[in-house]
Amino acid sequence: MVPGMTTYGGFEPVFCTIIPPHVLDTLSQAEDRALAGKARRTLERDAFERTHRRLTTVLGAPALAPPAGAAEDKPHRTIYDARHKQDLPGRKVRGEGDKPGKDATVNRAYAGLGATFDLFLKAYARNSINGEGLPLNATVHFDEEYNNAFWNGEQMVFGDGDGEIFLDFTIPVDVIGHELAHGVTQYTANLTYFGQPGALNESMSDVFGSLIKQYTLGQSATEADWLIGAGLLAPRVTGTALRSMKAPGTAYDDDVLGKDPQPATMDDYVRTGRDNGGVHINSGIPNHAFYLAATALGGQAWERAGKIWYSVLTGGELDSKASFSDFARLTLAQARALFGEGEELQAVTKAWEQVGVPTG
Amino acid sequence: MRIQVRRTGGFAGIDRHAEVNTSGRADAQEWQALAEQAVAAGRGTPPIGVPDGFSYQITVDGKTVYCADPRLTDEQRKLISRVLKEGA
Repeated sequence: MVPGMTTYGGFEPVFCTIIPPHVLDTLSQAEDRALAGKARRTLERDAFERTHRRLTTVLGAPALAPPAGAAEDKPHRTIYDARHKQDLPGRKVRGEGDKPGKDATVNRAYAGLGATFDLFLKAYARNSINGEGLPLNATVHFDEEYNNAFWNGEQMVFGDGDGEIFLDFTIPVDVIGHELAHGVTQYTANLTYFGQPGALNESMSDVFGSLIKQYTLGQSATEADWLIGAGLLAPRVTGTALRSMKAPGTAYDDDVLGKDPQPATMDDYVRTGRDNGGVHINSGIPNHAFYLAATALGGQAWERAGKIWYSVLTGGELDSKASFSDFARLTLAQARALFGEGEELQAVTKAWEQVGVPTG
Repeated sequence: MRIQVRRTGGFAGIDRHAEVNTSGRADAQEWQALAEQAVAAGRGTPPIGVPDGFSYQITVDGKTVYCADPRLTDEQRKLISRVLKEGA
């Protein structure tokens, strides 16, 4: 018996594993706390389905304390090596403060986590992903020729790429920042990873991923390339990156990969059931809005445009099922709250207008 | 037996699709056993995956199930990589 589980007259709890997981998922998010709690516990017991990781993304991550004696303004990084297998987290290969080793992938991951931590701390006074010094863990060399990187609800996971289409996913610092930003979203607005809130979730990761790169390189909005995943495509692929915030839909056009499917405006919004309802496709629209606002304002993008977006993400008013319009309206409100009726509000208003997202 | 795998999502959001027809293959039995186990552990509706995780759709002789990274069974992972690698 799981401690704390309610039973009825000695019988097994009403929730058992014959209930399909998707129903449990819905139930575990139910308004009724008792119902949600039982469904959640059932999900958690279901070791075979390994639902724990799923729960952390659906319901938000559990609170993890920073290590005892940890400094407030320093990251607590640990890099693990999966050694081309799929078991997480794998073997620890570098801890906080350890000297760089021979593996460039490990060193890049370590540095990328540090860069991400720095931006959130210095630009937004956020102490790590959860605001409370959450240790930053990443696993590299996941699986063989694995063409992906993801956030599993607790840590980052990076593949080496197959060398044919993708290179090592730790190469672009914006990819590392992108994954960590998923953690920030999970601990704050927890945008549902489907449809428009899912595309907003993706866009948050691209926005902060790009800002981390700009911050690291000391670039202004006009100097930045506004690309996501530059340097990730193998030499034989025709393309410059995976996504372009400046010109969505133009990042690649290749025989094998196909053409970058991102729209820049609502006129070209893509309705699809694939990719969790097009989360990596329609993110082009809010991505482009951010680019337009940031370049209209000029200077360092993390300072004004970034501050407005960050305040919306973390401010508590953004619903987990927010639409593009919901999000856009909140950026106007934050622009006004932070900077008054000035050029910031004007730039943000115009940006959403240009991509066709109504804010009225 | 016709085994189809469709992979969507992932950081790049790029789809991949491949299929293997086991009839006439020397290793047909091995494929069939693997496919049956992979399907048995699949779900009838697509799970909401982790951010940037791959989502998979496995179709065996017309029956479709879904699964997503990183929660694949060993059989699902093995079948998916083999079909995407060896399939057409």
